[in-house]
Amino acid sequence: MTALLELDEVRVAGPYGDRLNAVTFRLQNGERIALLGRSGAGKSSLIGVLNGSLTPAAGHARFQGMAIASLSRRQRARIGTLWQDLRLIEELSIGQNVNAGALGRRRLPWALANLLFRVDAEASRSCLREAGLEESLLADTGLDRSVGQLSGGQRQRVALARLFRQQPDLMLADEPLASLDPAIAAEVLERLLTSEADGKLRGGAQAVVVSLHRPELIDRFDRVLGLRAGRLVIDAPASAVSVDDLRDLYAP
Amino acid sequence: MIVPVRPTAPALVLLPALALLPVLIVVLNGAHGGGAEILGSFVVGAVSPSMDPALLKALLIGLQVTVATALTGWSCSLVLGVLLGCLSSERLWLTWSLPAWPAIVLRRLMALPRSIHELIWGLLLLQVLGLHPWVAVMAILLPYSCLIARVWRDQLQSLDPSRLQAILQTGSSPMAACMTALSPAMGSVLVSYGGYRLECALRSATLLGVFGLGGLGMDLELSLKSLQFHELWSGLWLLTLVTIALEQGLRCWRSWGEQAQFGQRQAMGFAVAVGLSGGLGGLWLAHLFPEAGSLNWLPVQWPDLHSLQLAAQELPWLSMLWETLILTVLAAGIAIGLPPLLLLLNPARPWQHCISGFWILVRVIPPPLAVLLLLLSNQPTLAIGALALGLHNSGVMGRLLQEGLEQQDHSAQVALTSSGASPQVGWLYGSLSPRSPSHLAYGAYRSDVILRETVVVGLIGGSGLGWQLLESLSSFHWAAVLLLITTYAALTLIGEWLSDRSRQHWLQS
Amino acid sequence: MASRERRAVSLLAVLLCQGVTVLPVVAQPTLKVGAIPDQNPERLNRLYGQLADELSDRLNVKVRYVPVSNYPAAVSAFRTGGLDLVWFGGLTGVQARLQTPGAQVLAQRDIDARFRSVFIANTSSGLQPISSINGLTSLRGKRFSFGSESSTSGRLMPQHFLAKAGVTPSQFSGGRAGFSGSHDATIAVVQSGAYEAGALNEQVWTSAVNNGRVNTKKVSVIWRTPEYVDYHWVVRPKLDQRFGKRFTTRLQKAILGLKPTTPRQVTILELFAAKRFIPAQASQYKPIEKVGRELGKIR
Repeated sequence: MTALLELDEVRVAGPYGDRLNAVTFRLQNGERIALLGRSGAGKSSLIGVLNGSLTPAAGHARFQGMAIASLSRRQRARIGTLWQDLRLIEELSIGQNVNAGALGRRRLPWALANLLFRVDAEASRSCLREAGLEESLLADTGLDRSVGQLSGGQRQRVALARLFRQQPDLMLADEPLASLDPAIAAEVLERLLTSEADGKLRGGAQAVVVSLHRPELIDRFDRVLGLRAGRLVIDAPASAVSVDDLRDLYAP
Repeated sequence: MIVPVRPTAPALVLLPALALLPVLIVVLNGAHGGGAEILGSFVVGAVSPSMDPALLKALLIGLQVTVATALTGWSCSLVLGVLLGCLSSERLWLTWSLPAWPAIVLRRLMALPRSIHELIWGLLLLQVLGLHPWVAVMAILLPYSCLIARVWRDQLQSLDPSRLQAILQTGSSPMAACMTALSPAMGSVLVSYGGYRLECALRSATLLGVFGLGGLGMDLELSLKSLQFHELWSGLWLLTLVTIALEQGLRCWRSWGEQAQFGQRQAMGFAVAVGLSGGLGGLWLAHLFPEAGSLNWLPVQWPDLHSLQLAAQELPWLSMLWETLILTVLAAGIAIGLPPLLLLLNPARPWQHCISGFWILVRVIPPPLAVLLLLLSNQPTLAIGALALGLHNSGVMGRLLQEGLEQQDHSAQVALTSSGASPQVGWLYGSLSPRSPSHLAYGAYRSDVILRETVVVGLIGGSGLGWQLLESLSSFHWAAVLLLITTYAALTLIGEWLSDRSRQHWLQS
Repeated sequence: MASRERRAVSLLAVLLCQGVTVLPVVAQPTLKVGAIPDQNPERLNRLYGQLADELSDRLNVKVRYVPVSNYPAAVSAFRTGGLDLVWFGGLTGVQARLQTPGAQVLAQRDIDARFRSVFIANTSSGLQPISSINGLTSLRGKRFSFGSESSTSGRLMPQHFLAKAGVTPSQFSGGRAGFSGSHDATIAVVQSGAYEAGALNEQVWTSAVNNGRVNTKKVSVIWRTPEYVDYHWVVRPKLDQRFGKRFTTRLQKAILGLKPTTPRQVTILELFAAKRFIPAQASQYKPIEKVGRELGKIR
């Protein structure tokens, strides 16, 4: 059986030297992966390679056996990303932003209708609910609120709902907890990793990769990848990663 | 110790006002009271415009032609301009995974239609289309669509690309992604900039009345030629009223679409209104000119190489270019620098209302009239032309600046004034500063317009490219016309390149 | 949601079928009469309708007056058939006929056969009245303004007489002449002192003085030019094919037949500042053509 994701000696060049170098790993269905490393270690670059927004200078990156860089539009829709800077469309409403996640499955008239009317309110509402947005914003008038007016935590949840709306096989999240307080961070991570319904991965996804800075949360994951200066230095089950390993990873 | 640093954006906005210095020195030096009587009768005309029913009837008929022409020209130029703007944006070509060079080629090609004044386009089109109401429409359409395309393209390019990328990553088609990620921001550009173009189109349509197509411009020009100021003011007041009505209407429209989804519908509603007004204007024109018939293309005879060479030797290139450039630079300096300077003097509300009244006035007074009025108490110098052009265009820039300031968040200004800064400083740092890049961008586009408007004030000194162009046109010296038009296009291209480079240098790094 | 999608699509459709409404209309033969109003343009423009009515009654065809205030536009509109009958100035008429083979001169006013320009000067300029053409050399080094760049009486002939006296525009102050745009504006800029001297149509000057619109303390005539021919009615070729046999001849007769008998005809002749119209020949305008070629206004 082919792995969901395989990286083979991947190198990504940057202006000041390689951002990733000789990164190799495989990802199986059902895995929850924590991606750790100091700032600038290459976490965002790795996420970029995984979603195809960065093309490796060398090596291979494959998703379900196909090179990520040459995935078709429909295949690319199978990989969803929660961006570090969220990349919401400020001028659009909450509902419209969530629906933007479904554009890969929809035709053009639907995209146009989404700009002008409240479309598929139920679907976006359930995604928002799963992302934990407060009920007061789930009413029709709430869905029509502009994203530009929301608080940081609320925006985070709208972006999360957009990711759920996409229903990807592979979910990538680039530092989704960076600006959240500890309690909310734990809650958001929970929502990202586990569906309330069956305890499995959210929305039928087969795997999730989360980059984060909170070593205390790694017990929530199956496996830990540690990056240091662009190289993969830890690739182990979460239970096997010791405190010393983490200290070395974050050492100056 | 004061260490010189690169000027910041608000400083760059105010610096062009330095152009006022040499202009005012020359103008005040040459000032005299000889034209006081005539100026007096101009002022008297303003308070007692002619109410002669025959005149008012002629003006109202003229206004219909002007408005119909403006609506049609505006609508078509907006549709075409947005289309061309999208096509000349490298980003969109890349989004469709296509090579971007056609966008660059298209962008450069558009400098030609843009660099030539509506009046000149009208005369040229008259040669190949005959006397037809659509000559005026197309004379507006050609330069306007290319100018709109440039603005549209620049705005598209300046949007944060990450949002588009995020949507594309969801597997969306390029079209749906652009619609979702780009159109919301571009929608507000469309409403704001598109609305403003309607007023410009109205002014251009007025100017184009002189060709025998009728319109308010015809009446204004004839009153001006015979110095009938009472009659002139009847027309000017009418134009002022229409301008104010338009400005207020657009302001209402904008304030209506605050909410997110509402904003989208507002933009869509605006787009539909643009389309409808084009159809309406076209039908109206057909109604006003029942004998116009269909458009026919008449054959043209191109000047041969020999006559081009002869014409090239005849033209006084050096003085012509020099005077045009000086005129453009000084006028552009005044147009860009004067509005923020006036607003800075006193950021209080009542003063700002006074100033916006002033801006409507200078916009409505056509530059040739302004030149004549200035001449009456002065001596014929380039500075007069620069002042007239600069003031007229500062009215346009001032309107855009004030509109932008109104839409912008005032929290920074509030924060500064609450920390004890004077109202001026608070306004300069808190309000003008964030507005500066876009003011400078619009300033670059305005410089384009000013360059081609040098044609209109060319008469004053009997010099410069503009005068040569009018002189060659009235002599039907097509070889010279072709050369001069090419020169205008070349200057526009260089100007575009310079402004792109300097904006990159000053604002983006 | 399908209905919403349909609504969205139909909105788009409305946008796309934005009308190009250049609908061809069944053309009735209409005689389009144009003019470059030069004197009294204000009144002329509004009362030209009377001329259209008069011609319409006499000739039994639809007549429409088309006002044009841009000289090259009038010439071009005449060439391309947008105007059938035009009241041209000397220079523009010659330009129009050269560009429109077969165009005919129909008539001129009694005064047009002996037209003059005047040179005027601001009294504070120190310029003295001139007795002979050579006196024009005193204008060297002065600020000088013509009227409109295509005007025969406000630019072409004055520049011609200046050239005869050996004065070129480059010898004026600033190395060039100004162009005020119209005869009335020339009076205004000279009277104000912005320019020290200027040249214009004598008829406009006389009527401005008579109407008290000139401050004669500040501006006065320094020289009257010799006579030349100016304004004339020019008609497009082949009108007979559109309007019926001998139409051009009938048109000429209608214009020549204008007499101060009915109130309407009185108004028309007053507007043109003419006692009557007289026949004119193309050959009379040969000197204008020659001057036009010398000064580069005819190519």
